Amino acid sequence: MSRADLSAGKVIRMSLLFRIQHLILTVLLTLLAITGFALMYHENSLARWIIEFEGGVHNRGIVHRIAAVLLLANLVYHVFYMLFSREGKTELRLLFIVRQDINDFLQSLRYNLGMSKEYPRFGKYGYKEKFQYWGASGGIILISITGMMLWAEGFSMRFFPKFILDLALIIHGYQGLLGFVLLYLWHIYNVHLHPSSFPMNPSWITGKVSVEWLREEHPLEYEKLKEEGLL
Amino acid sequence: MRKVAFAAVLVLLGGAFLPGLARDASASISLEKCTLCHGKPEFRKLLVDGQIRDLFVIGDTLAGSVHAKKVCTDCHFDVSEIPHREHPKRVTCTHCHYKGNHEGAPQSDNVLAYFDSIHGQAIARGNTKAPLCQDCHGNHRILKAKDPGSRVARVNVAETCGKCHMEIYAQFKGSIHGTALAKGIEEVPSCTGCHGEHRIYARKDPKSTVYSTHVSEQCSTCHGSIKIMGKFGIETEQVATYKESFHGVANQFGSRTVANCSSCHGVHDIRPPDDPLSMVNPKNVPKTCGKCHPGANPNFAVGKIHVDAKNKESGIIYWTATFFKWLTIGTMLALVAHIFLDMYGRTRRLRGER
Repeated sequence: MSRADLSAGKVIRMSLLFRIQHLILTVLLTLLAITGFALMYHENSLARWIIEFEGGVHNRGIVHRIAAVLLLANLVYHVFYMLFSREGKTELRLLFIVRQDINDFLQSLRYNLGMSKEYPRFGKYGYKEKFQYWGASGGIILISITGMMLWAEGFSMRFFPKFILDLALIIHGYQGLLGFVLLYLWHIYNVHLHPSSFPMNPSWITGKVSVEWLREEHPLEYEKLKEEGLL
Repeated sequence: MRKVAFAAVLVLLGGAFLPGLARDASASISLEKCTLCHGKPEFRKLLVDGQIRDLFVIGDTLAGSVHAKKVCTDCHFDVSEIPHREHPKRVTCTHCHYKGNHEGAPQSDNVLAYFDSIHGQAIARGNTKAPLCQDCHGNHRILKAKDPGSRVARVNVAETCGKCHMEIYAQFKGSIHGTALAKGIEEVPSCTGCHGEHRIYARKDPKSTVYSTHVSEQCSTCHGSIKIMGKFGIETEQVATYKESFHGVANQFGSRTVANCSSCHGVHDIRPPDDPLSMVNPKNVPKTCGKCHPGANPNFAVGKIHVDAKNKESGIIYWTATFFKWLTIGTMLALVAHIFLDMYGRTRRLRGER
């Protein structure tokens, strides 16, 4: 954290590399959702328009697969980064789900329902962030498996009967829908539309958040930085 | 003077009526004259290709047909002297069957449709083997298409087409449609049921009813109808499930290489799945799928092909789809609830701080 940042009351929340990964993920997931749902709901006139816009079903498939390959490349890079880089290892440790997260979740429920006066105090990543992170990672891995099965249908059919591929198709589509709901309803609200950061948390572009915001929303992280003398 | 005028009137009237009388007279003479030669049962001609052409015609030949009241020269109007020196030309039906004709001959746009069809186009290009009206409708014994005796009646039309399309006719006779037709089942399609009557086009012509992207629509006219299929205990969901499948979607968006109904079920040789000769018999499925998916194995036949995730009979696929549906609905509700709770709690927190 540079001196200029601190004097402006800002702390870094997302490093440049994470911001790039996040941006790639955003673009690719949106592209996959558009091309995927156009096929899933091909009866719909908007879906028809999208498919025609992409140059027919054949080209739609190519766009979808290119995006999928890039997404997997992004994922592989991310896994290596989290496992082997200094920054990644630190972040990964912060992302492990621990007992405290479950307690925090229950505590926040109690608080929101008016049964408790204490709102849980979160570190850099609270239960919401962790749920999102593992949900998205696990979801991408699972949807990739069914996706690759369907892509290499000739190869898959050597080992699996037809109904397994029918099943893979169903899972792929519905899981995509579930993931879409999670990302575009839950993630957008929690991170951007949430009253604390409305209309947008700028950290996905600038990487920085205000010290004030950090103290309010992630008090344990604030205190940790203070102890380390970084603030 | 008066006599002269009277004579003139007579002449005028005669001019108006006599041709009619004369025509009747010439008609009867014509038939008699024609049958001088054509009335002999052994009157026939050996054609170049070795076929025998029967030229035997008697007064009764047209009786019972739609042209019962016509005489030879009404159609063979190029015969002006008897015996005719030249070979009479092929009869042109449009001589009478045109719009606004005075004969009262029925006229529809079918003749125009025919000229646009593959047969009409072949004729226009000078193919003498291509069929004219009389090749399908018959020559002397033309009956209304609804008459079961007509050569173009639904029960007979396959045989009529089969005169030229012999191999296809043989395939069709063994198919489920052909055998059902022979049993006298009314709903079953003959050639014209799928190909159209006068509007017959080559299957690679986008105007054709059996063009690759039109096939499913064509089959669904009967196979999508519960009213028709219910009679024979055949499911109607096949069309809808096809349209939902990868094949069907690609087909709807204009892919011509993707499988349509007939790619798997056959064209003229469609047989029910339990027939060992059927292309969709489980034993033949690997070979059928292998046409497009090289190396297709018996795995292709394991599980229903026309699978409907919304139907309980689809078993595990139905249950997985239902599970995901409720999982998604449940997650959405939980998330929305969490969002509202969070907003509510936050508002209270802010109020407390103030």
